[in-house]
Amino acid sequence: MDNRPSDPKKEDYAIFLKEITKTFPNGTVANFGITLGILKGEVHAILGENGAGKTTLLRMISGILKPDSGEIFIDGKSAKMRDPMDASRLGIGMVHQHFTLIPEFTVRENVALVLAESGWLDLKKVDAKIVEVSEKMGIEIDPEAKIENLPVGKRQLVEILRLLCRDVKILLLDEPTSVLTPIEVDSFFRIIRDLKSSGKTIVLVTHKMKEALKISDRVTVLRGGRVIRTVPTTEADEALLASLVVEGLAAPPVVKRGTPGDPILSIDSIIVKDDRGRTAVDGLSLVVRAGEIVGIAGVAGNGQKELVEAISGLRRVESGIITLSSQDITNKSTRFIIEKGLSYIPEDRMHRGVVLTMGIHDNLALKCIERPPMSKNWVIDRRSMINYAERLISDFSIKASDPCMSVENLSGGNIQKLIIARELSNGGTFLIAEQPTAGLDIKASEVVHQRLIDLRSRGAGILLVSSDLDEIIKLSDRICVMFGGKIVGEFFPENLDLERLSRAMLGAE
Amino acid sequence: MIEWAILVGVAAATLRVAAPLILASLGETVVEKAGLLNLGLQGAMLVGAFSGFMGAFFTGSLWLGLVCCVIGGTITTLLYGVLVINLNLDQVVSGLAINLLAGGLTLYFTRALFTGGVAPYLQELFGPMQIPLLGSIPILGEIIFSHTGFVYFGLICVPLISILLTKTTFGLRLRSIGEDPVIASYLGIDVVKMRYVALFIEGILAGIAGGLLTISMFNTFDTRIVAARGFVAVSIVILGRWNPLGVLAGSLLFGFTEVLSLRIGILFPEISSASTNQLFALLPYLVALIALIVGGRRVRGPASLGKRVGRE
Ligand SMILES: Nc1ncnc2c1ncn2[C@@H]1O[C@H](COP(=O)(O)OP(=O)(O)OP(=O)(O)O)[C@@H](O)[C@H]1O
Ligand SMILES: [Mg+2]
Repeated sequence: MDNRPSDPKKEDYAIFLKEITKTFPNGTVANFGITLGILKGEVHAILGENGAGKTTLLRMISGILKPDSGEIFIDGKSAKMRDPMDASRLGIGMVHQHFTLIPEFTVRENVALVLAESGWLDLKKVDAKIVEVSEKMGIEIDPEAKIENLPVGKRQLVEILRLLCRDVKILLLDEPTSVLTPIEVDSFFRIIRDLKSSGKTIVLVTHKMKEALKISDRVTVLRGGRVIRTVPTTEADEALLASLVVEGLAAPPVVKRGTPGDPILSIDSIIVKDDRGRTAVDGLSLVVRAGEIVGIAGVAGNGQKELVEAISGLRRVESGIITLSSQDITNKSTRFIIEKGLSYIPEDRMHRGVVLTMGIHDNLALKCIERPPMSKNWVIDRRSMINYAERLISDFSIKASDPCMSVENLSGGNIQKLIIARELSNGGTFLIAEQPTAGLDIKASEVVHQRLIDLRSRGAGILLVSSDLDEIIKLSDRICVMFGGKIVGEFFPENLDLERLSRAMLGAE
Repeated sequence: MIEWAILVGVAAATLRVAAPLILASLGETVVEKAGLLNLGLQGAMLVGAFSGFMGAFFTGSLWLGLVCCVIGGTITTLLYGVLVINLNLDQVVSGLAINLLAGGLTLYFTRALFTGGVAPYLQELFGPMQIPLLGSIPILGEIIFSHTGFVYFGLICVPLISILLTKTTFGLRLRSIGEDPVIASYLGIDVVKMRYVALFIEGILAGIAGGLLTISMFNTFDTRIVAARGFVAVSIVILGRWNPLGVLAGSLLFGFTEVLSLRIGILFPEISSASTNQLFALLPYLVALIALIVGGRRVRGPASLGKRVGRE
């Protein structure tokens, strides 16, 4: 079987990469000698662990980065792309791993940004396009909604919608599904199939083997910046792909359920409003006990975001009471709540989780900087910050070239690992984990799951909010389904009735 | 009892004094929307005032003076562009450097070219343009329609810039650059070109704002002629919340308080004395401070304003 196509000029390839190498200024070799052909009209999945070089590769195809050596052929012709405009002229469009929506703008303005011709803004035309595409996608989007007010799942859909509004031939999708619920993933896959049958070429980066197997024609696995193998999907299964992605993956241990103790977090009929002043959390009550993981399942936009923000002190509680470790934390400052034991892994990691332009060591020390050993008498001890960073980098296998490198140069999954490392190491007694493994490879996800379970076994309470139903079922001791700002059902992972759970998520229970 | 005529006079003077502020702060609004904080506005106005004067003095034509002030203003803002866009230098430092350069060069040339280092007087000035019909409306005609062309131009620019920023694709793209230039470039927007266009627009407006001081308001040039108008214009942009209408209001507020502080003796002879007049000179800044505190604090400026792009 020949996996390495040799004739770059062949018309069958929408994209042909020849001996592509990319080294970053800090010496990281992100891609090395990559030769890979993407056939016209195929769905090609790219798998690989965090930091394997997937995003870097797509960025070169979309003209954002330039390869140091090697050549890119688009439709058989050598393409020297200087910037994203060149790529877009060749019909290439990309959904980035991190959002490229302007948070201050509305959905409509964000779409107009890439759609409109110069001259007058024709918002009617933009609206018509949004309606047309969102109907095709089977989703509901308010063109006037401001992006920063949307939950990340919705933002992801807008990002995809915007790409589809343009007339692209080659779609590069970098982890588009990592924050989507199974229902949303299904309808997203329907769109992919439609696109494929209309002759488009699709490159899809994902960490989920199941998704790759379900939607792709061929799969390429990257490791350490090199192509390990390309296999036709029909010849692959989950075990094969997993073994290609990471060497020596141990079988996941069986998860033992916790033994819940006293309540740590109690929420008593709280009402919380969203940014537009509508009731988002509607008289919700919930208890999380020590040594218990409570999973919140639900379609994004049913008040999960506002609930979490209310607990962490980021949003006003209109009425009701929240207590953490028997202390009233309703409408207290975030600082106060953190001191009472809150740890938080936010879903919007780029904005809430890290300071992008600061170093890894700064980011890891953020929450304990005012205490020894990080600082003494208001003077920061850089040495112990670096030591601490080095320890966590190796504990959580964060792929970084040095402990002081700027966080914006880390790969997406490694940023997530960094946040998790910080939040799990600060000795909190209650953790909110929002999409904790979004964007993590299978090995890293497994490690994070194990860490969450360890934390619970040590007596912490965990509120797990995730669009990944498998994850919720695997980890939770109790599953609460949220719909319309209320908890509409409580399930236990043993003898789970999936059918009923799905109905509850859609508000039909 | 204050007479009507005095009030009308104050209103008309407010508009006249506000005109350079309106023009300059509209220009600054455009570049700030593109994420550039151009403190070199002061320098651009100074170069505009200088080149406008030079053009008018040496050619004997006010119109050529007008052309010269536009050229001088745009060269200055484009130079700022080279520093912050091409060389990726710090925006604040670059702006201040431009101001020092403008101050030094204009001083040097005034000393080198004119005997005694003092610029002579121009023979004529752009005078008021009476607008037929509208000009003869009582009161309103006198307040609004009895000015030089510069005042009308400033007033017309308010809706024009507003439309440019909100109703055109150019404006939308410009604003996206101000929010996040890296993302804008991912979306295929030519950040460099757009920022230069914005600076070009600012250069024209700032050049005219400076030029009108020499070829229409005072008929000579002095290196202190701009006073702090450039910096005031930058603060008006913040006060006006990056919105052309707000900028107009802010400019009028500044203009009004300035006129008030100058005419306090005529308006309120009872309370006027040397020391109170000094206090009244503070009025514009005090009012601005209060307006900043009271006025819509929720409106955020462009997210990337003043930031250097450090990413590859
Ligand atoms: N601008 C940069 N400067 C320096 N190093 C970088 C930069 N961008 C990426 N890297 C490094 O290059 C390697 C590959 O990164 P890339 O983002 O391509 O990984 P990825 O496969 O997309 O990973 P993930 O699944 O976590 O998103 C990583 O080690 C990363 O730290
Ligand atoms: Mg990536």
